[in-house]
Amino acid sequence: MSFKAFTLALMFSFGIPWLMIIVVPFSKMRHVEPIYFTEEADGRDDVYVPRRAGRIANGAAVYAANGCYICHTQLIRPSFAGSELGRPGWAGFKEQDDAGIPVDTRRETTPFDYVGESFAQIGLMRNGPDLSNVGGRIERYVKEDDADAKTPENWLFLHLYDPRKKVKAYWSTCPSQAHLFTTRNVYGQGSPDAVPGLSEEGEEVLPTDKALALASYLLSMKKDDAVPYSINYSRDKKKAE
Amino acid sequence: MPTDDIAFQKDSELRAKIDRSLRHPVMFFFASGATWLALSLLLGFISSAKAHSPTFLDGCGFLSYGRVYAAHLNLLVYGWGCQAAFGLVIWLMARLSRKECSAVGIILTAGHVWNFGVLVGFLGIMAGYGTGKPWMEFPVAVWPILLLSYFFITVWSFVQFRCSEGGKIYVAQWYLVAALFWFPWIFLTAHLFVFVFNGHPVMAAAVNAWFKYALIFLFFTPVALGTAYYLVPKVTGRPIYSYALALFGFWALAVIGPWAGMQRLAGAPLPQFMPYLGAAATILIFIPALAVGVNIIMTIRGHEDAVSASPSLRFTLGGIVSFLTLGVLGLILNTPGTLKLTQFSLTGYGYEILAIYGFFSMCAFGGIYFIVPRITRREWLSRRFISWHFWLTVYGVGTVVVCSIMGGLFQGQAQEAYASAWMDAATRSYAYNIGTTIAWSFILFGSIFFLLHLLLMWARLGRRSQHPTLLKADDHHEASPHGPEGDLDELQSAEA
Repeated sequence: MSFKAFTLALMFSFGIPWLMIIVVPFSKMRHVEPIYFTEEADGRDDVYVPRRAGRIANGAAVYAANGCYICHTQLIRPSFAGSELGRPGWAGFKEQDDAGIPVDTRRETTPFDYVGESFAQIGLMRNGPDLSNVGGRIERYVKEDDADAKTPENWLFLHLYDPRKKVKAYWSTCPSQAHLFTTRNVYGQGSPDAVPGLSEEGEEVLPTDKALALASYLLSMKKDDAVPYSINYSRDKKKAE
Repeated sequence: MPTDDIAFQKDSELRAKIDRSLRHPVMFFFASGATWLALSLLLGFISSAKAHSPTFLDGCGFLSYGRVYAAHLNLLVYGWGCQAAFGLVIWLMARLSRKECSAVGIILTAGHVWNFGVLVGFLGIMAGYGTGKPWMEFPVAVWPILLLSYFFITVWSFVQFRCSEGGKIYVAQWYLVAALFWFPWIFLTAHLFVFVFNGHPVMAAAVNAWFKYALIFLFFTPVALGTAYYLVPKVTGRPIYSYALALFGFWALAVIGPWAGMQRLAGAPLPQFMPYLGAAATILIFIPALAVGVNIIMTIRGHEDAVSASPSLRFTLGGIVSFLTLGVLGLILNTPGTLKLTQFSLTGYGYEILAIYGFFSMCAFGGIYFIVPRITRREWLSRRFISWHFWLTVYGVGTVVVCSIMGGLFQGQAQEAYASAWMDAATRSYAYNIGTTIAWSFILFGSIFFLLHLLLMWARLGRRSQHPTLLKADDHHEASPHGPEGDLDELQSAEA
């Protein structure tokens, strides 16, 4: 085999998959077409705008730099690829709203769930729970009567500072992120930003900017909005009446 | 007859010249690679210990689990793996092309730049500037440095290949040329599509998942197989069992390898053919693994004495057995039924460690034990050091892989049992993590023997002897692990 033929064969054997699974899908997915609600299925006909509020970019950088993606995933797979749709609180909620009407927001991940991020942190392992709906779960933990925390941010700060102490998961192997907090002596009334439940006598614990960004990012991950019928892969989805 | 003698003498002169010209760059890559390897294994031990005892070394940000784990794998890949590969490629290519190296200064400079890049990347990860893309965690500024120094390190090997006379192309050369061709394409593609081009976040994650497997199958695998295809005929003194099978194995890898990797994203919102093609390709890697495994093992067959005596052959055989295991595991772990268990469990880690350490590094150790005595013109000091290194590596990697694969499968089963409490799944891998920690400490111990031994050789404190250091006691090595006494005397006079 001549060198020219060898090089050409290498170019083809690598170039074809390179085009087919990297270049073409990448350019096609750069502009995902907007999804519309339809009158017959959803009862409305506007465009679907994925909603997500918070310091997404800053928080994602802290999430990445501290390796949260090693133990936490952000992916609800369809039922042919995994069974996490069935885990309570992971894919959304099946519950009654304030008026007593049953609501089911459970669904698998859509391409719009990572809006605001440049890299989808699919994750490597599930040593910890999936975080696709962590914001929604924490909001409900806080409502429980025996919760130590009063607000979702407070719950997260307690968890990040010491994952085994305050949130009743003695078996957790989650590493402490205490380095995202600063401890200082209290002068006068103390800072209003100090984390309740962490401050000791004469000292107070304050979240750094990184902790604030990370908490904002984590709390932005919720599966509670209505998605159009066409991209709602929930098993129990219903058309609007 | 006299013409033969002259030809033989000319030949050995040429080989000696090639070895002398390459002594500094090759030793630099091996020694700095082995140093990064020891650090990476230490970090592997720490991160594994933190996985079951989260309060171990707790309290400072730069030693937090996420950063240590990322640094461990990145140093294993770029600090050790790539540098060992560079050392192997430039030496093997010079020998196979029968050309002296004429760019030693540039290679050494580029090698220092590469190490500088790895150092900056390592400190960046530990200081909290990691990018959070698996195997691409070095801060963004580092990858252009690495790519640039890569060109200046390896372009000379390519030139040697093109300028070689005689026209005979060896099997080892196909693999080495292909690795040199694939690496920049893979590396540039991955970093451009993830860091530079503005695309969909899920697609960026898919490119990243592809990058890991492409690096394993299209860079580390060809370099390791090139080394094996060079060493095995050389040490056993017989030609490769089947040329046709070697050709088939090579092209099977070239055709199948580039498709693998995206199965990490099965079920993610991207075209579903991509992850399942990745899974299918990883299953099919069994074909080149079988072709290469059969070919190498059939070449060795009948030379069991050589395997037990020669450190190079023993490590190479260990690496090839790992490659076969990798093929079998790829076959088992990527079916639709098992993929859902392995996608987010410890199994992926075990598979990567088997590929990088069990397969590539074992073949690289085989190459290093062969090459270093030739370029330093000294023999390895201690048979016992080599033997310890071998057994600690084999048992250590075996334990890490068994613990991660088995633990990962059980962990995956617990994750799939969605009606049980999450605590079940979260604590299922606990015992396996402890096993992994113990195994890393074994591997670390073995690699410290290796590093010390290599540094002594670099300092030219090796034995001055005509007899290579073999692992079996023979007439020349009765009781002393350091060889006959005369050699020790010579060693001491060399020190004085």
